[in-house]
Amino acid sequence: MQVIEIKKRVYERNDERAEVLRDDLKRSKTFMMNLMSSPGSGKTTLVVDMIKRLKSQCSIGVIEADLDSDVDALTVEKTGVKVIQLHSGGMCHLDAGMARVGLEALGSENLDLVILENIGNLICPAAYDLGQAVNVMILSVPEGDDKPLKYPSMFSKVDVLIVSKIDTMSVFDFDIERLEAHVRKLNPLIQIFPLSAKLGDRMEVWCDYLLNEVRVWQ
Amino acid sequence: MHELGIVMEIIDRVEAFAKDREIKNVKTLVLEIGELSSIVPSYIEEMYAVVKMDSMLDDTSLSIEIIPGVIKCRDCGERYPFSHREEGCPTCSNDLWFVFSGAELTIKEIVIE
Repeated sequence: MQVIEIKKRVYERNDERAEVLRDDLKRSKTFMMNLMSSPGSGKTTLVVDMIKRLKSQCSIGVIEADLDSDVDALTVEKTGVKVIQLHSGGMCHLDAGMARVGLEALGSENLDLVILENIGNLICPAAYDLGQAVNVMILSVPEGDDKPLKYPSMFSKVDVLIVSKIDTMSVFDFDIERLEAHVRKLNPLIQIFPLSAKLGDRMEVWCDYLLNEVRVWQ
Repeated sequence: MHELGIVMEIIDRVEAFAKDREIKNVKTLVLEIGELSSIVPSYIEEMYAVVKMDSMLDDTSLSIEIIPGVIKCRDCGERYPFSHREEGCPTCSNDLWFVFSGAELTIKEIVIE
């Protein structure tokens, strides 16, 4: 009997592909935002309102990833930007290879901003680098301010947290300060943007921040 | 719940490793799974039993070593178990920390006959 050491991280090949993709995106001056959240947090509503506000200032494309269906892609398509629907075939996350397929189908080299709507799930997408410039997650008010305690790996990995549906805060027992305290323990440098995409409330603060990040990337 | 994709990647990697070195008699595959990796070891075992059937690892068994979750105090650098995070640092009582180990998912080694 003989033991042969391998010592390889399982995510290593994905991380390598993601680095190559990030370099390619940097060269084509395309900023990719990886948007993650649980189902029903308002990803598509947010994306539609962002497009309306930003499309006169930069060229935008959207990659919609779902297990099945194209309902979100059809909703986003009405804004007039190019949309690609990716089906993960039952997988609960995207990887860097699938992100590249989506970007190529979109023709991303001519775009300033690509919004990738990841599969609605707070666990698996946290483990996969897609080559993005920024990782953004949405937590909607109805989900509760204790979610960082339940999904620490997602909250500790993202650069930006959007707290959506703040217009419903009075209905739910949601304390934004308590949320911030939980999140900052896991991720002291995170940027937090509370907003309501439905009412357009505080959307300009988030969109100004993102547009600035796109310009810095370029 | 991304264990299926992970098991497929692991088997693919180990097959490539073995083929490169002309190893044919793999008996056991050893993985290291961190407590904080969001991976469920029992799911990995169940998926492995199925996915290996179409591979050169068909006759192998799987051995999983669990790496405990350890966090490090952001203030004084003390390392302590993740399970004690609510109590804060045992040395300075600061409750800010980062993960020191336990998030790993590693193909550790193979045992051959």
